[in-house]
Amino acid sequence: MDILISACIGPLITIMILFNSTLSQNVGNYNSSVLIHIAGLFPILLILIISKMTIKLHKDIPLYLYSGGAIGVFTVLFSNMSFSALGASITLALGLFGQSAASLVIDHFGLLGMATTPFQKKKLIGLIIIVLGILIMTVF
Amino acid sequence: MLYILIAILAGVSIVIARIINANLAKKVGVFEGTFFNYVIGLLFSFIFLLFSKELLQLSKINFSIIPWWAYLGGVIGVIVVVLSNYITPRISSFYLTLLIFVGQFFVGMMIDYIALNLLSIGKIVGGLLVLIGLIYNLLLDKDLKNQEVRS
Repeated sequence: MDILISACIGPLITIMILFNSTLSQNVGNYNSSVLIHIAGLFPILLILIISKMTIKLHKDIPLYLYSGGAIGVFTVLFSNMSFSALGASITLALGLFGQSAASLVIDHFGLLGMATTPFQKKKLIGLIIIVLGILIMTVF
Repeated sequence: MLYILIAILAGVSIVIARIINANLAKKVGVFEGTFFNYVIGLLFSFIFLLFSKELLQLSKINFSIIPWWAYLGGVIGVIVVVLSNYITPRISSFYLTLLIFVGQFFVGMMIDYIALNLLSIGKIVGGLLVLIGLIYNLLLDKDLKNQEVRS
């Protein structure tokens, strides 16, 4: 079940990028970022109202936990900037390399509260194959 | 060169935001976490908009030519964040990255094929190589866990 849910996230992201970039081309990067977040707030508020949940600011938790939304804005802006300069396939491929590298670093040091999974030198072979794949995707 | 770095940073920011959002969700709940994610995101989007030149061009935008489904990206984003918040603490971030890649890549190729009738050999071969590399590293993770269980 966990694997099925994980496998659904990728296709949803691709469809989301298609929709968001269409909007971005029409209204610009920053306007679309605002509109995307407003559109997203509606279903969340609906869920919160239906399930009668209340929102309260938790002051006892570290402040950085609230920064996910701000970092997400950078994801949108960075993606759009490289989309217009490099095109879709290279942006996707380089973004995936960034994701793999960041995941390995986070797993190795157990950063941000994740379980520690030490880096093995053998994993360099996998990373080299990934970079090779990205190069082939980019060149052809 | 600068844009190559920006594209990689976009990927790095995805992983960091996903983990931070999941940590927040663990403390305050999945839906409340998503709510804060979007409120803070909206706030920062507004700040960026204020400092950009786009605000002045707002009146020139022809909203009638934008297809209605273009606004649904934000709604799908909510589904992605809710699912990610739920799944991130249950699965290794490397494993999650692999599964998300597979789905993203193959649906991306399907969209390219349906919309543009485009199917390049280079993309398929390159994509398969990326997949092989990810699976190879994934198997190393599995071996490591098995050894830990035995010892």
